[in-house]
Amino acid sequence: MNDSRNADFPPEHLLSDAEVARFVTHGYHVVEPPLAAGLNESIAIKLDGMTTNPGDAITDEIPELSQVLDHSAVKGVLISLLGPGYEVKGHRHWHCKEPGSTHMQWHQDSTNNRDISINRFLGLYYPRDVTADMGPTVILPGTQFRNAPTDRMATYTNVKGQVPLMVKAGTVAFTHYDMWHATAANHSAVKRHMIKFLFGRTEDNTQPTWHHQPESLEVPHDWNARDKAEDVNNILSFANPLGVGQSDHYKERGIRRQCWDQLMGTAQ
Amino acid sequence: MMDEIERRPRQRLLYLHARTPSVYSSILGLTQIEPVAGHTVEIMSEDPEWPYKTVHEALVDGWQIVQFPHQQAPYDDGDLDVVGYEFILQKIEVVE
Repeated sequence: MNDSRNADFPPEHLLSDAEVARFVTHGYHVVEPPLAAGLNESIAIKLDGMTTNPGDAITDEIPELSQVLDHSAVKGVLISLLGPGYEVKGHRHWHCKEPGSTHMQWHQDSTNNRDISINRFLGLYYPRDVTADMGPTVILPGTQFRNAPTDRMATYTNVKGQVPLMVKAGTVAFTHYDMWHATAANHSAVKRHMIKFLFGRTEDNTQPTWHHQPESLEVPHDWNARDKAEDVNNILSFANPLGVGQSDHYKERGIRRQCWDQLMGTAQ
Repeated sequence: MMDEIERRPRQRLLYLHARTPSVYSSILGLTQIEPVAGHTVEIMSEDPEWPYKTVHEALVDGWQIVQFPHQQAPYDDGDLDVVGYEFILQKIEVVE
């Protein structure tokens, strides 16, 4: 059964079962909301002209940012993954990657107190196209359940499976709070802007809050499809975005299943 | 004086993060440190070059392991930490 509180929300903006499962395994989901014409560029120009970072007050400085948060394509992801009572937390931050700035090493935010549930995550809004030379954010899918002090990541540079977020203006990338992330160097002459928002859950799920179709859970294991799977059970079982070893992969499977059961509202 | 230093063999370092503690397992991550003033590494936004598929291929190319990863996998089935198993290798040679 789907959450009846979503009845009035356009279902095309809610995530599918497979998309939710892929967020559990890969830790990110990207949307390109069709925002009002000129909105992205006007936000980017305002950011270009700012000389101090207002921290959490960035939305007071640029109130148009609320149009991003209010777009149905953004709300649909938040409802799907955090429930209709999701919270836009007060913490948000403007990250400006200046021309000539070097890469930022891999890190997890905050301290090593990880959570296997999806109770909070980030939304990264890019008001301007991000090209390879502009210092894109780089994420490492599949690391969101790892409990690794950032100092222990200092000897990693390039990792197979890393994803540079080279995106179109207006893109919002939702990333698991605990995912390893970094930035590449900005070799261009353009400031690369990103506004980070933090979202949270206010209540545990008792049922799916996305566009759930019960039959999608009935697909049997397909040992041939493996990481090309498009259904929940096979995604949760076989996705291995970094190609980690068997011991880690088996642990990941157990954690993913607990996370999925909590989202379904069926956790013990 | 500078020329003399440059002609002296120096330590090149290669950090390889492998899928398992076996030298035959595939490489997940790579960091190469050159003993050259001002050298830095860079996280790439385009596909970097992967000179070796395994630690063994690096050995064949003359790299020597100076630190092996811990052979014992953690026993806690509920927790995951770093990605892969870290081998540190070196080559002592004159670097142009």
